[in-house]
Amino acid sequence: MDYLNAERERRVTQLRKGILELAIMGSLYRQQHYGYSLVRVLTGDGSLSLKEGTVYPILTRLDKEGLVRSEWVESDQGPPRKYYSLTANGRRIFESLMPEFDQLVSLVKQSRNGAKSRQDQPLGERILVKKEERE
Amino acid sequence: MSHYPEVVEKIVQDYLQRVGIQLQRFPNSDQEDVLKELSSHIFESYCAGTNSEPVGRILEVLRKLGEPADVVAEKLQESLLSLRKLKKVPLSVLGGIVVGMFGLPLGFAGVAVLLGASGAVLGLVAAFFATATLLLVTGVMGMGLGLLRMLNPDLWDQLVAQGFIQVHGRVGQFFDLLSPAAQGGLLVFIFMAVAAAGLGMLWLSKRILRGLRFFFDLMLDRARTLLKKRRRDGSVANTNRVSTPVRDISPDREPLSGPDPYAIR
Repeated sequence: MDYLNAERERRVTQLRKGILELAIMGSLYRQQHYGYSLVRVLTGDGSLSLKEGTVYPILTRLDKEGLVRSEWVESDQGPPRKYYSLTANGRRIFESLMPEFDQLVSLVKQSRNGAKSRQDQPLGERILVKKEERE
Repeated sequence: MSHYPEVVEKIVQDYLQRVGIQLQRFPNSDQEDVLKELSSHIFESYCAGTNSEPVGRILEVLRKLGEPADVVAEKLQESLLSLRKLKKVPLSVLGGIVVGMFGLPLGFAGVAVLLGASGAVLGLVAAFFATATLLLVTGVMGMGLGLLRMLNPDLWDQLVAQGFIQVHGRVGQFFDLLSPAAQGGLLVFIFMAVAAAGLGMLWLSKRILRGLRFFFDLMLDRARTLLKKRRRDGSVANTNRVSTPVRDISPDREPLSGPDPYAIR
């Protein structure tokens, strides 16, 4: 079972990493953020649990790719903050990625529901639904 | 000026120092940037913390941030992402070349050849930089001359008369056909291309150097892994193996047994 748990953890981490970039772009699409405020947004409602340090390499890469721009702003309360915002190119790419993401999610949900319904529904019901669909 | 109590400051500095050690293979500017940003994060997170005990609070902040090695490993992973596809091919090709050239027992002669090859690589890098700089300087000077021809033809004529500028042969004949402004424009255009080539080489050099560094690091890592593996194989050969962990857990790997562990809820 330990193997299963480890395998599950690995896959969950992969899944999270995959959508983290999109989630970061989504947060920056609405408003600019500095690193910590971005982490708060991403983890705020507990929907995305992650090691907070994971965010920075992605931000650096997006910055280098020109999808995000950054600037250091002095802060009254402590060390300067590095603010990130989405560039025009970043916005375009995010907008083009969102339908793809939605499609993927619905595909996964659909295949799961489809499999479930085939298993659970009685044969007669399945035939009836098919008949209705034909009509 | 410190933003923390003394003991917390020490913990933070220790953490940043450990991150700094992990960051050594990155350019200095990147290192400073990462450390500055992590400092900012740690401070913000510390201020937002609810634990009234300062040490407990900072430890919680650092735990959430991740171990220095993990934080940097993520960064390394990101920076190597584009190189990942290239990683395997050059290694095997280079391994073949090294084995082919030096044979397996690397004696003193082999080491001498390796040193020679490293020297040659260094020479190539130096020549590359010299060429890039030369192109850039020539380009800028040429553009200056072109501008001079366009904006101050009299001074140009004086320099030609005094022999400072000499244009001979077919190029000279071709230039005589053009007006001073056209001559200047042509010069600026040609030398702009030369300067651009120099700049392009310098831009490329950063990537080449990073690639070389990465390559040497990789070779060292690979050599270390090989040594470790050999040692381990040697020690394993002397012990009686009953079963491997993989065999023990293989039945659990059946994807259709039990509830789906990856189901989306």
